[in-house]
Amino acid sequence: MSEQTETTTPEAADPMKRRSFLRAATAGAGMAALAASLKPLLEMEDPPSMERFLQKYYKEMTPEDMKKVLTRIENEVEKEYGKRPHVRDLKPMDGVQFVYCLNLTRCIGCRKCVHACVAENNQSRSPEIQYIRVLKMPHGSLDMEKADHDYTPDQVPEEGYFYMPVQCQQCENPACVKVCPVNATWQESDGITVIDYDWCIGCRYCAAACPYFARRFNFAKPSIPKDRINLDMAYLGNRPRRMGVMEKCHFCIQRTRAGRYPACLEVCPAGARKFGNVLDPESEVAKILATKRVFIQLKEELGTMPRFFYYFDV
Amino acid sequence: MNKGINDYLHFLRRCAGVALVGDWRYRAWLALLGAFCLLGLNAYCRQLAHGLVTTGMSDEVSWGVYIANFTFLVGVAAAAVMMVIPVYVYRNEELHDLVIFGELLSVAAILMCLAFVMVDLGRPDNFWHLIPGIGQFNFPASMLSWDVIVLNGYLVLNVWICGYLLYSRYRGKTPTRWFYIPFVFVAIVWAISIHTVTAFLFVGLGGRPFWNSSIVGPRFLASAFTAGPALIILALQVVRRVTAHAPLHGGEGARKAEVGELKPFVKRPATLEDLEELDRLLPEFEGVSMEMRRTILPELDVIDLEKGDILLRQGDTDSDAYFVFEGRVVIEKEEAGLLRVVGSVGPGAPVGEVSALNETTRTATATAERPTRLLRMHADNLRKVMTCPGMNKNIHARMAERLRITDRALLTLRSIVQVSMLINVFLLLNEVFKEFYSGTHHVASSKYLFFGLHGHHALVPWIWTAVVFNLVAMVLLVLPVSRSLKWLNVTCILAIVGIWIEKGMGMVIPGFVPTPLGEVMEYTPSGSETLICFGIWAFGLLCYTIMLRMAVPILQGRLSKANEEPNAPAAG
Repeated sequence: MSEQTETTTPEAADPMKRRSFLRAATAGAGMAALAASLKPLLEMEDPPSMERFLQKYYKEMTPEDMKKVLTRIENEVEKEYGKRPHVRDLKPMDGVQFVYCLNLTRCIGCRKCVHACVAENNQSRSPEIQYIRVLKMPHGSLDMEKADHDYTPDQVPEEGYFYMPVQCQQCENPACVKVCPVNATWQESDGITVIDYDWCIGCRYCAAACPYFARRFNFAKPSIPKDRINLDMAYLGNRPRRMGVMEKCHFCIQRTRAGRYPACLEVCPAGARKFGNVLDPESEVAKILATKRVFIQLKEELGTMPRFFYYFDV
Repeated sequence: MNKGINDYLHFLRRCAGVALVGDWRYRAWLALLGAFCLLGLNAYCRQLAHGLVTTGMSDEVSWGVYIANFTFLVGVAAAAVMMVIPVYVYRNEELHDLVIFGELLSVAAILMCLAFVMVDLGRPDNFWHLIPGIGQFNFPASMLSWDVIVLNGYLVLNVWICGYLLYSRYRGKTPTRWFYIPFVFVAIVWAISIHTVTAFLFVGLGGRPFWNSSIVGPRFLASAFTAGPALIILALQVVRRVTAHAPLHGGEGARKAEVGELKPFVKRPATLEDLEELDRLLPEFEGVSMEMRRTILPELDVIDLEKGDILLRQGDTDSDAYFVFEGRVVIEKEEAGLLRVVGSVGPGAPVGEVSALNETTRTATATAERPTRLLRMHADNLRKVMTCPGMNKNIHARMAERLRITDRALLTLRSIVQVSMLINVFLLLNEVFKEFYSGTHHVASSKYLFFGLHGHHALVPWIWTAVVFNLVAMVLLVLPVSRSLKWLNVTCILAIVGIWIEKGMGMVIPGFVPTPLGEVMEYTPSGSETLICFGIWAFGLLCYTIMLRMAVPILQGRLSKANEEPNAPAAG
């Protein structure tokens, strides 16, 4: 190396001095490189906060803890969207088991449910997150590999096809709950599988486990136009999610636990969607399940036992 | 007790002291790995700032190359056990010291695994939710919680075993069997469990028919026991090459290198009486026949050295070995202008036999500590002498004290790779038959992998590369040609690359394609994702390099408690 040329200067003549200088220079360059590689952290889009970091697990929170958390969420939403929301922690009602029934004969594939869901549940518009996927299927087959996910005709329904909207099937034996390593997703007594968005670590194991492609991950910070935010929120429901966590259909907890229908049902122009408490024999869903000769639970062979039933007008 | 802790801390300090010391090649290697680590770190910081959108993953293919690497590396980590079993269960001494290298590799592999899991998390700040006791640990329901236990447990086991054996070696004590043998046997079972549990992570998902197959677990093990030992074969050869001139820290006890000139030796031809004297000092020499003594005698000399005379100079090349008759020779190594005593040898012991036999340059300088008389023997004659079993064993045992990576050890590993590869290919064929012959709906993922589906074939070139590599490696392994190291290395590289593709990308990605709703979405890792992967691999290699840098001198006896004090005489 340049050893010989350097020994001509008196300072460098001492190899120990030269060595410690080189060492300091290397350490300095190393630190500079380290600092440079850490720089992108300054652009953090969804920075962690101490309050969120230390927040307790949903099921371990006292009512006071929950009150604080709800206030925190309201503050955060107000800061970001300029309007103060009403965030509630709605609990399941006793003697209620929700069930969804969908009439495949009626569905016309208009995707109004998809958009109503996006608006109701404060789903990210960019990148796009939608809980409901409507499959256009050729008559006579339930083979999903033949489904068209991206149909865009001028008019629906199209001749020779039927339409099958798929969303979280709220399984009685949910694969996603079993695999979650931190219990961030669980099934409530009214049958709805919920997610604590503040507890999720974002491993996406539940997405791999779900046989219905029902789970959606926030790959980026969700963006919702300020004037489109739905201010009626629930902790386990439609409050805005963070980057890096999982979300999915929760049967519109903020509505259904307050005695209203899910948004997808209300908007359906064909009356294809029915929702209710299956434990109440007078409910529409109980009657459908009692009287229809055939109904379908998707991928019944997997033993997931969906609470989402497809049926036909016959 | 306190002294014990102090001794241990001193041991750690000395290990840390040698970690970054080396010649320019070593430092360049560390700098290169460090640079890749920083590039990876930079990409990861971008991912933290902007989310996993910086990767190629999507809701459709929600795991990618991170989990693929994770899966592969769990296999590598598990494979250390394939060296442990022969040594401890079948008492194969050939592999004895190499077990440490295997276990250190598994430590590095586990660290990489943990890093790959961490970078895959959407919210790494919530990681503490996974810690049993303070978080919510979904055990035993979630296979991921099992994985947390088995991976960390395996890490602790291996760190304990390696650490204990190395520390014992450092103190020059025979390890107490009760302190490590039970852990070794636990580690054997544990190694199988880490890979089984990782396979179950996939196998347990009923909604993904490509993974939901009971053969996946055995396939994981077979491929792990192919790729892991293959990687160790390559790593050992690198270790063997570079440790020949790995210098040691010039800490206390070092003096400035002022090696004098070699003076011409005062010598006389050896006589049969001299050899009889050697018989007394070195009983194994008695086995050398009279006939051989007469043959080699004309080429032997007896040399007399004054105190301070130099026998060998580091860096010189010649092929003479020496046996000490009387006196003592100090062995010193020069590094960065400093000399450090690494040992000394007395009557009956050979000097310079390793570099003479290996025809490498002298790795140390040997100086007479007091008036010394030695027998000089050319390497050719030493080889003749070594045809006598007693001498062969003696010389080999001495070489082993420095470090034993023999070709036979590598060939033992080769037979492990051979059998595992045959099983691996056989199991793969089983899977392919079941999928394609029965031709149920479940074949879609395999079709996508091997032939493409609905016009999407991103994985097709990859998997066929893997198939060809695996088959060629398998054929080479069963042919005698892979007994030569050159071909064995080619074979190992083919096997490693083949298996990395097959059980990394070829295993994880097709599980997601088509989606449970029949949609085909492809996945290609993004640039940032790729950089992070390179960064983690560099991090793992950095860890492995530094761990070896500490372990090798300890195993060679160059870093020991005995040479803690300046000029303390070390065992031969």
